Amino acid sequence: MESVSVRIGGANGDGIDSAGMMLARIFKKLGYWIFAFRGYQSVIRGGVVWYQVRLANEKLYTYGNEVDILVALTKEAIEESMSLVKAGGLLVYDSALPNTAGRQEIKMLPLPLTELAIKAGGSIYRNTVAIGAICKLLGIDSNAAKDILLARFKKNPDVLESNSKAFDLGYGSLGDEKRGIIKLPEPGNAGKYLLNGNTALAIGAYAAGCKFYAAYPMTPASSIMEWFAKHEELGVFFKQTEDEIAAINMVIGASSAGVRAMCGTSGGGFSLMVEALGLAGMIEVPIVVVESQRTGPSTGLPTKTEQGDLLFVTHASQGDFPRIVLAPRSVEECFYLGAKAFNLAEKYQCPVIVLLDLFLSEHIESVDIDPGKVSIDRGKIQKEPIKDFKRYQITEDGISPRSIPGTKGLAFVAASDEHDEYGNLISDVLVGMPEYAELRKKMHEKRLRKLETMLKNNDIELPMVINEGAEIFIVTFGSSTESSTEALELLKERGINAGLIAFSYLHPMDSEKIKKILEGKRLVDVECNATGQLAKLIAMNTGIIIKDKVLRYDGEAITSKEIADGVEKYFRGV
Amino acid sequence: MFTQNDYRSSIKPIFCPGCGDYGVLAALTKAMLDLQLDPDNTVLVSGIGCSSSIPHDLKVYGIHGIHGRLLPVAEGVKFANKKLTVIGAGGDGDGYGIGLNHLIHAIRRNVDITYIVMDNEIYGLTTGQASPTSLMGHKTKTSPFGVIEKPINPIALALAAGATYVARGFSGEPNHLAMLIENGIKHKGFALIDVQSPCVSFNELNTYDWFRKRIYKLEESGHDPSSFAKAMEKAVEFDLDNSKFPIGLFYEKEGNTYEELDKAEQQGAIADTPFPTGSDVLKVLEEES
Repeated sequence: MESVSVRIGGANGDGIDSAGMMLARIFKKLGYWIFAFRGYQSVIRGGVVWYQVRLANEKLYTYGNEVDILVALTKEAIEESMSLVKAGGLLVYDSALPNTAGRQEIKMLPLPLTELAIKAGGSIYRNTVAIGAICKLLGIDSNAAKDILLARFKKNPDVLESNSKAFDLGYGSLGDEKRGIIKLPEPGNAGKYLLNGNTALAIGAYAAGCKFYAAYPMTPASSIMEWFAKHEELGVFFKQTEDEIAAINMVIGASSAGVRAMCGTSGGGFSLMVEALGLAGMIEVPIVVVESQRTGPSTGLPTKTEQGDLLFVTHASQGDFPRIVLAPRSVEECFYLGAKAFNLAEKYQCPVIVLLDLFLSEHIESVDIDPGKVSIDRGKIQKEPIKDFKRYQITEDGISPRSIPGTKGLAFVAASDEHDEYGNLISDVLVGMPEYAELRKKMHEKRLRKLETMLKNNDIELPMVINEGAEIFIVTFGSSTESSTEALELLKERGINAGLIAFSYLHPMDSEKIKKILEGKRLVDVECNATGQLAKLIAMNTGIIIKDKVLRYDGEAITSKEIADGVEKYFRGV
Repeated sequence: MFTQNDYRSSIKPIFCPGCGDYGVLAALTKAMLDLQLDPDNTVLVSGIGCSSSIPHDLKVYGIHGIHGRLLPVAEGVKFANKKLTVIGAGGDGDGYGIGLNHLIHAIRRNVDITYIVMDNEIYGLTTGQASPTSLMGHKTKTSPFGVIEKPINPIALALAAGATYVARGFSGEPNHLAMLIENGIKHKGFALIDVQSPCVSFNELNTYDWFRKRIYKLEESGHDPSSFAKAMEKAVEFDLDNSKFPIGLFYEKEGNTYEELDKAEQQGAIADTPFPTGSDVLKVLEEES
């Protein structure tokens, strides 16, 4: 595949993020598919941050293992990223930086970035100077790029003027012989929208009628709450709460009142939500909980990614109760599963956890989204008064009719204690009596029966299988799926016929069906955690042990190259 | 016209004979009856503890949640459908111990719910441990030499946090309490009603007699509930010397509720707003990209 990657690096406060986003927008406008990601730190000024944007004329699955152009605003940025520049690639850096050692096989291109920025109005415009230079190197028409760049600053004429000047100075700092020295592929028919996982998920939830979002700030989930905060004019209620305990309990209240409701956090906040997760399971209130994982344990690496909470979310809270765990495999799936989660929650009256991670939450992809594919199923809601209403009626499928406060004649108490079919407690004066011990079993079995029902209804999708006839298969889930997909191509180039089995529905698992998919295949487990949690979950459900594992847990997303290298090693038995 | 039968369920309360919470149940029922609240439009949210079993004793929609979290659940119900009357009810451990954080924030928001705390200065359901409101020196199972930390003063705390309706009732005065609850429900905004509600099984200190000897009614002492300074003065009487302290309405003032100020709530009850159409979603997607 023909693609070009550009990386811009600097310090926190240098505007690296906005420069990266701007490049992505310019490339998108030109008709390219985009995949972009940023590296940042839990500091506000200083350190090293980077933003890498990759473009192609077909769908991309990663932000690229190497870069064609690296623009570095600081010495640290050069050190951090120089090894990524491919042979024949360019390193553009601020000529004001001292003693810059290069690499033989790459071209060094010092530019007076700071000096030009000061001419344009201040050193803060270095990022825009850099954009100008990058556009020249890629042979992008300056007017086309500036249209997109300056649209951002329409409301602020001074800033617009300075940015315009900075762009021109950057563009003009390179002679015409440098124009287009990095060749762009022909533009293609790219995905319409440029979204990160969190935004796609928020819009998916909105499309499904989620009208209530509660959360406490925590990286990398915070941008979901910021999206909802910004969109209250849509009639969607947003509440920043005092803690995550309040967030999930508010969501339980809102959903009890008939409103589709969601809360979101990362692993630390989810730890606080755990008790209430069980409440939702016990009183059978549909809720959606987003858990965007970051590197743990404890505070871990707050700005880095990991898939280390899979076993936690599939098992969190005391006792047994039905839940569904979904892990979108791409930005596009963040939208669709973000929407689907609400149907599943309401149909089965249980918590649905959507498991993201920092990489999926924050990387940007070109996507095509069709809101027409979102359908609404609100499950069993009793609206007409009936005699002898049993909110927790024991049914064959385990699902009981739900009534919403405000509905005449159907009042009941939702109790976290064990209760009978009406919601009356069997936990105090009746507990231990033989008849009620039997009833407790029946109520517990009723709730758990919903797990069988969802499998029977085929509402729990089986993993996606690519290349059924392959000799060796990558087994993975969630955000590691896209780099695994790209790894298949790399393996093909190395003469290995590899396939992919990628899960997005993690819990419950249809043991028999999953067993059939995995049995008799040569499998390599690929995950971003240290212990192979998916492999453990599969073993628990199917008895199949996947011994070969390619794991990454240093805080970065696993790359297609690492996956290909790992799989190749196992395949060749070296 | 709703009658007593429309409010009281056939469940026999779990309260011990003589428990103060019977008084609260009677007062709450009377308040609902006097206000002619539609039980189907009323949601009573509780936590965990003896007092939190109260939703089962009434024929309203109830959520009997987990310990200390009744306020966020109640806020969620109210924010989702502001047309509902939402009442929270629980104990002192629930509200002033494990859930205290939520109380301060619910007050800040001035969300339009009424919160009744059945305060018995003890953990009753777990059979007699010191609570956040147990008095200094009170000997309990977990303070055999007497409590050595100061009790929470919920009235002063609520006032300091900016509460717009702060009252203290006594289970032994159910009519007075019913009046406080009724006015609390009518009050636009957050209403805290701390109810001194004796535990006859595990608190031998704060008995009905103990209270009767000490309490007097603010309504009969010329207190001006519109004065914050006077309210605070009355609130700390309990801390200065609990030989005499008031019950009644300490403070009430008008203020915007969270629902009145929130952009989404201003468009109507969230439960009533329609789901977005495909073109609504497309518009959002376009704006985002």
